[in-house]
Order: sequence, then structure tokens, then C-alpha cells
Amino acid sequence: MKPIFQRSALALCHAVFAACCLCPALAPARGAAAELWVGAATADITPDRPIPLTGGTAVRIGREIQNRLTANVLALESRDGQRSLDQAILVACDLCVIRPGIQEGFRKHLAGRLPGFDLGKLVLAATHTHTAPVILQDRYDEKDYEDAMQPKEYVPWLYEQIGEAVVKAWENRAAGAVAWGLGHAVAGHSRRVVYSDGSVRMHGDASVPEFRGIEGYEDHAVHILCFYDARKRLKAAAITLATTAQAEGGSKVSADFWHDVRRLIHARHGAEVSVLGFCAPAGDQTPRAQVRRKSEMRMCEFRGLTYSQEIGRRVASAFEDVAGVIAKDIRTDVPLVHRAVPLELPARIVSEAEYAVARKVCEDIDAKQTPAKSDRWTRTLYGSVADRYLAQQKGEAKTYEMELHVLRLGDVAIATNPFELFLDYGVQIEARSPALQTFLIQLAGASREHAYYLPTPRAMAGGALNDKPFTNYSATVMTNMVGPEGGQMLVDRTVATIQELWKD
Amino acid sequence: MRCLTRLSILWGISVALAGLASGGLAAGAELLIGGATTSITPDQPIALDGQFHTRISRGVDNPITATAVAIEARQADRGADQAVLVSCDLVAIRPVLLSALRQRLAEKLPEVDARKVIFTATHTHTSGVTEEGKYEIPKEGVMQPSQYVTFLADRLEQLIGNAWRARRPGGVSWGVGHAVVGYNRRAVYANGTAAMYGKTDRPDFRGIEGYEDHGLELLFFWNTGEQKPLAVAVNVACPSQEVEGGSKINADFWHDVRQQFQTGDYKDVLVLGWPAAAGDQSPHRMYRKAAEQRMLKLRGLSYTQEVARRIVGEINEVCGLVRNDVRTDIPFVHTVEDVALPVRKVTEKEAAAAQAEIDALAKKGGAARRQLWQQKVVDRYRQQDKEPTLAVEVHALRLGDVAIVTNPFELFLDYGVQMQGRSKALQTFVLQLTCGSAGYLPTERAVKGGGYSAIVASNRVGPEGGQVLADRSVEMINSMW
Repeated sequence: MKPIFQRSALALCHAVFAACCLCPALAPARGAAAELWVGAATADITPDRPIPLTGGTAVRIGREIQNRLTANVLALESRDGQRSLDQAILVACDLCVIRPGIQEGFRKHLAGRLPGFDLGKLVLAATHTHTAPVILQDRYDEKDYEDAMQPKEYVPWLYEQIGEAVVKAWENRAAGAVAWGLGHAVAGHSRRVVYSDGSVRMHGDASVPEFRGIEGYEDHAVHILCFYDARKRLKAAAITLATTAQAEGGSKVSADFWHDVRRLIHARHGAEVSVLGFCAPAGDQTPRAQVRRKSEMRMCEFRGLTYSQEIGRRVASAFEDVAGVIAKDIRTDVPLVHRAVPLELPARIVSEAEYAVARKVCEDIDAKQTPAKSDRWTRTLYGSVADRYLAQQKGEAKTYEMELHVLRLGDVAIATNPFELFLDYGVQIEARSPALQTFLIQLAGASREHAYYLPTPRAMAGGALNDKPFTNYSATVMTNMVGPEGGQMLVDRTVATIQELWKD
Repeated sequence: MRCLTRLSILWGISVALAGLASGGLAAGAELLIGGATTSITPDQPIALDGQFHTRISRGVDNPITATAVAIEARQADRGADQAVLVSCDLVAIRPVLLSALRQRLAEKLPEVDARKVIFTATHTHTSGVTEEGKYEIPKEGVMQPSQYVTFLADRLEQLIGNAWRARRPGGVSWGVGHAVVGYNRRAVYANGTAAMYGKTDRPDFRGIEGYEDHGLELLFFWNTGEQKPLAVAVNVACPSQEVEGGSKINADFWHDVRQQFQTGDYKDVLVLGWPAAAGDQSPHRMYRKAAEQRMLKLRGLSYTQEVARRIVGEINEVCGLVRNDVRTDIPFVHTVEDVALPVRKVTEKEAAAAQAEIDALAKKGGAARRQLWQQKVVDRYRQQDKEPTLAVEVHALRLGDVAIVTNPFELFLDYGVQMQGRSKALQTFVLQLTCGSAGYLPTERAVKGGGYSAIVASNRVGPEGGQVLADRSVEMINSMW
């Protein structure tokens, strides 16, 4: 893996970030009740030309737009008169992943354009739609991009689009209000199917006699934050639920079910409302159910909806239901505190056996006269395993660096991580959090390295790395930079940081 | 229920009654459907079933009821197959109750095949005890279990007769909705142990043991020419035990479902509450409790009302979608078998531990119920070589594209998911706590974690038997497709 930016530049960014975040003047110990200022804006991040779509083993060229990709921006500031007490800018992007270097590059792009805002408190998060542009140039073979917009062209354009929205949101912030609530929507399903021999397969066949169950839990909570202007008109909504935006897929550009959520909310509350769709820890979840698929599709047919529209309907219904209820409890004088903590997690160690498997796969691919289209993807992943092992042997690559953002907003905690974090970790954080509601956001701004999946011990038991990349996919070393040891540390540090914000 | 004596006849002497007349698919037959409901609220104080300690009811929060839907397929003026589906606001259908009901039906309603009447308990823990000797119950001023069994036999015989006599041409429609009702109640800790309702705010909490299923299988029964359904059967992977520790008669959330649903156009529409496989589920929240409580406060609802709001919203929604897809000309088949399941073997160590607890409790005095519970473990240890299997009644029905399969356990959800995943039916209704009461049936991972519901005292049948049950249930379903 090659980072987009030079390590030296990144190191500088990290140093500035850490200094900003740890500076007591900018990060008060606890937010006193103060005036909440809210700004919001939306950027269209859909280029009007063919784009390579990410999230698959081979590149797909998106030549048609099913619906438009957006980035929705929320700017928050806690103020005491003219004094800024704390601040945050959260951006929910219809992208698959905020790849390494993208968040840092975007902060750099914004340098000097947001007077009074600490760029270390800006967070980009992805909804994980797999029908959005590739944003790393070397993700696939350049010739496979054909006539489509190259990632190296898309990323600067993306920065421009989101940048304008961020500036707009920051500039239009004004005294406002917030309300929070909890609803439910059956949107995410555990996707790891367990068989009688103990093996696990993502989206495995549940109709075979060896099927024994679904590996883990599901969480159908929908956490909702509504932000209002001074006249209590809805200005923005943040919605967090434990599923990725992968209801449909295909080769048309699409924001997946978030498009449908926004469409329904806009129809009710106005097109100017920014709707931030966040993905809670859901490394083992997707909208696709492992059982009952035919009957679900029959119900979609009755409704005249696609599955993506159906998921959108459920989430938007939960939103409407909750928004109506919490309108009775709108707050203006809530504490806002934002901690941004650099964190180093122990890396998942590559074993010698795993190294041997990876090296063999790479050698076999390298020896091919005519590689398959997916070989680049496979080679990259296995190659990374081999590289990590060699780096380990030299005493390097023992940790994974990330930014942990934790916010307190009234009775609500918000905490981020860059992984596809298995749900159990999210459940732990929520259960141990002292906040009334804990909004968790995964796929938020990876730092230097890919974050990939962060699995549980039980997921790892579903199968070891072999030459078939989809064996126990999401829980082998191939797609885990960090394993359960680091996962537990992430949970403990996140909980501890939230607890800090609830002291007294 | 009876214990078979030889493991070699695991599937043996199973009684397959595939249709009254022919045993084949009653395809293209005319469906006759009738329904009725009755109160089963005792008219005097009664001991409440479902907890270790004795509770004598101190009044009635809301009525407990039983609801029946009778289905008959008729072909050329002959009955081709039948079923009477009865949902009861009881904690379980204890064997003593089941045999009393069957005997009464055989005597008084010969036109109904008693073996094809399917009794399901909703698992409300605030209904009457039906088994003598389980609790220490005052003899005076309290309805005794055997009296309540007689009371239930009277009421249910009348109910089933009413439903049967009300049969008229009709049809069914089916659909799937969603409601977040059941939560997996087993918390897992860093040392690998699990605990039912274990604390989740501990640093060593590692997650929830298993899956949850928030699908709502819905089956609507219609009489020809009617604009509203005669009844709706609601299959939800959750027992009705939100108010389980209470001391008043209470049907739990099913009362609220009925109350909220049976209004306006749907007044008098019958509701059959059917718990799906949910041995590891309950309505109790394992975390996020304060946030849920705040939402209740803002809505001005109790939690049972909130559960009902979620369920009824979906019934209404799905009914609107499937009301134009009522099928009258569909296959209807009902088979019933006694399936022999290998018992969970009590180890020597477990038997010794049970005996030690009995001795300790006897020294302290009291806790008779708990002593009895452990005594069963000791008795099983002595008998298990002679009685290696437990026969349980399993019904499987095909009704159009829908399968219904039953078992008498508090069956862990994974088994239900297996049945659904492997079933050839479009929708598969799994009914636990039906036609018998055989305790929890845990998964292998649950047994590893331990904790109430997965220890030997709670399990007459373990994972080995669970797999046999799942496999046989799937075979019974798929043989009808």
C-alpha cells in the first residue's frame, strides 16, 4: 500500500493535529451549558462523466447515474457570547471508504479557508456505498479505468466540492437547537453464516443442511439527532445505524439506501435539510438478510419498491416517528465538547504460516502469463500480508495509528473509528457508555494505512487465511490490520474518553 | 410426551397422520375457516407460573385469553385435512394440561381430531399454574392447579367447538413485517462465560451471545365476502414476559396488541399470538435502557404498549399490502409426529452438584421449588441410560406458500433460523412452546457459556437433540413441497 501523501507531510499533519487536539484552550475539560451554533450544507459529489466504481475485486465503470452522491456537512460550535468553547465539523460522504490520506489531504485543502476552526476537529465518514468512485489511483490497474474519470482527477474535484460545502456550513452556522432520540429500523443484518464444521462464510448459503446459524448479533436501533435553526425549523439530521449502504450494488452510480432516506426526509421537511447518514459499527453487517430473502422481495414487489428503497423507507419511517416525538424536547443550551485523540492500536500480527500462504499466492499470480481481472486486487491484499510480515520481522508495523474523535453533545456521545468494526465492539461501547445515547460512527477518516475490518475473536475462529481470499473473509489477517486485542483497546479507550466527558 | 426406551428408534414409532383421509396434499380443496376467542382469566386468586418463588395473584391487570382458528380443507364434500390453532395466554402447555385437553376434546368434540389441535403458549409469566406439586400453594382461597386445568378444559373445549362450528369458506394471505420486540438476553464475558440478563456495563462484557430476529411472520385468515380478516396470526421471536415478575393476572404485550389492533375496521378481528423460536430472547433490554425509557416517557406509553405499537403498526401495514392476495385454492396439509430426541446427558459431576445443592437447601429450609428443580437432575442421571430419548410432539403444516412447524421447547433462536433458512416454504412460521413443555433447548455455544437456560437443569434436551429437531422439522416441511 502506498499512501497518497509523503510520510513526512503526514507526520507533520499528525503533529499539528495532536497539538491542536491536546491544547487545553481549544479542548475544554467539559462543556458548560452554552449556546449551540449549527451550520449545515450539502455537496454534490457525483461527477457528470463515467467513473470507476469501488468496492469490488475488479473495477466496474459507472456510466449511468441511478441517483446522486452527496456529502452532507454539519458544523457545530458551542459559544459563550463571542467566545468559541468547542467545535466540530462532521461530513457524511456517499463513498465506500475514506481511504488513507484523504482526510489529511482534505484538511490541507481547507487550510486557511475556515477562520476560527481547528481543522483537527473535522471528520470525514463514509456510508460505504459500493457504487461510488474509486479514490485511490493504485487500487486497480490504471488501464481498467478506461475512459472514466481517474481517481487522481476525482480526488481534487471531490475536495473542491466538499470544501465549498464545509466552508458554507461553517459560515452559515447560527444559534440553533438540537434534539435526540432513539428509533428502530430493521436495516442491518449479520452477514456471517456459520456451518457445522465451524467455518464461516460472508453471505454464505443458509439453505444447506450444514447451516447452523448466524455468527453474531444484530442491532436495529436508529440513533437520531435533529438540528434546528433559531425558529425550530429542521436544518440538519444525523442518523446512525448499524449497517453499511450496500442494499443493492450494481454498476450504476448510487448512494444506495441513503438516497432514499434523504428523498423521503426532503419530501417532508424540505430539500435544504442536510441529512448525514452514518454507519455505526457494522463490520459484520449489511442490509441483505441471510434468510427470508424471497419473502422480503415479495413484500418489496407488493410495495413497488426496490430493496434499497425499502430500507430507505424503514429508516425514514423511524426518523419521522422519532422526530415527531423528540420535538417536545428540543434543547439550545447543551454542552458541546470534542476530544480528538491520536491512538495507537496493536497491529494484528501476521504469522509465519500466513506469510507462507500470502507469498505463495503472490508468486502464483506473478507467474501468470495472462492474469485475471481480479488478480490485481488479490495480489494487493496478499502482497500486503507478506509485506507486513517482513516489516514485523524488522521490528516495524507493530501498531496502527488512528484518530479517535469523541464528542459530547448534551446527553449524547458521538465516537468515531476508521474501521469496519464488528458490531460486538459497538455494543460494548454503547453498553458501557455513561451517555444517554451513544452515536458510533465507523469508517471515519483512516490515517496513514487502510483500516479494513476489525473482527471479534469468534469471527477469527471461523477460518484461517488460505489461498482462497473469501475464506472467512473479513476476519483473516488479509483484511485485518488490527485484531481483537486492538479492538478491545479501542473499546476501552473510547469508553474511557466518553467517561471523561461525563465526569461530574 | 413420553420417553422412548431405545436410541435406535430415534425416529421410530413416529406417528405420521398426514391428512384425515388420504395423507396427500389437499391441493385445490375448499378451505373452511372459523374462529373464536374466550377469556381464560381465573375467577379467583391463583398461583402464577413462571418464577421460582410462589406468587398468588392479587387481581387482574388485564384478561388472559385463548384464541382459536379452525381450518378444514374439504374436497368433494369430504374433509381432506384439518387443524385448530389455539393460542393461549399461558406460560406453557404443560403435559398434564395437554392430555386433559385432548381427552376432553375426544369425548366432547369427536368431529375434531384432537391430535390436530395445536395449543401454543405465549409464555406470559403472569398466568395460572397448571401443574400440581410445582409450587407450595395455600389450599384455601386459591384456585388449585388441577382446578385451573378443569377450568381451562371447559373454556377451551367451548372455544374450539365455537371456532369449528363457525367454519365458513375462506382463504389466507401472508406477509412479512418487522418489529423490534425480542432481544437476545445472554451477555457474554471475557472469560467465555455467559449469563442470562447479565450486566452489560462491566468492563469484561464482550457482547451478546447470539442473533436476534425482528422479522414478523404474519398470516391472515379471511372469510369469503368479508372486507376485514377473521384473524391474524403473528409469529414473533419473543416470549411475552415483560411484566414477568408481577403479581396480577396479565397477558403481557399480547393484551396491548389486541387492544391497539382491535379498533376501527379491525374491531373483533382475532389475534393469535405465536412465539417463534426464542429460548434466548425476551423483551427485556440488555443495554440502552435509559434511552428506551426516555422514548417511552415522551410517547406516554408503557413498554408493553410500545411493543404493541411496533407490532400493530406492522400488522396494519402488511394487511394493507396482502389483502388483495387472499388465496383460497391452495395446498393444505397437516402432519404430526412424535419425534424422539436424544436427551442431554447429566454428567456424574452435574448430578453430584445438584445433590449438594439439594442438601444445602434442605438444611436451610424452604426453597422447595428449587430443590425440586435440582432433584429432577438427579433423577435424570439415574434414568438416562434407560431413557435415552425424549419424544416430543411436532406439527408441520403447509398452507399455500407458508409452512408452520411447532415444538414444545423454549428453543434457542439459531434452531429457528436454521429451519427458516433450510425450509422450502416462502415463509416459515416456527412455533415454540407448543403442545408440551420441554424446557430450554440451547445451542452448543450457549452450553459452552453456561448460565441459566443453558445448564443441564434447564435442558432436558441439548444441542445434539436440537440438531435432530431442526433436521426433522426441515424434513417434515420440505416433504410437503
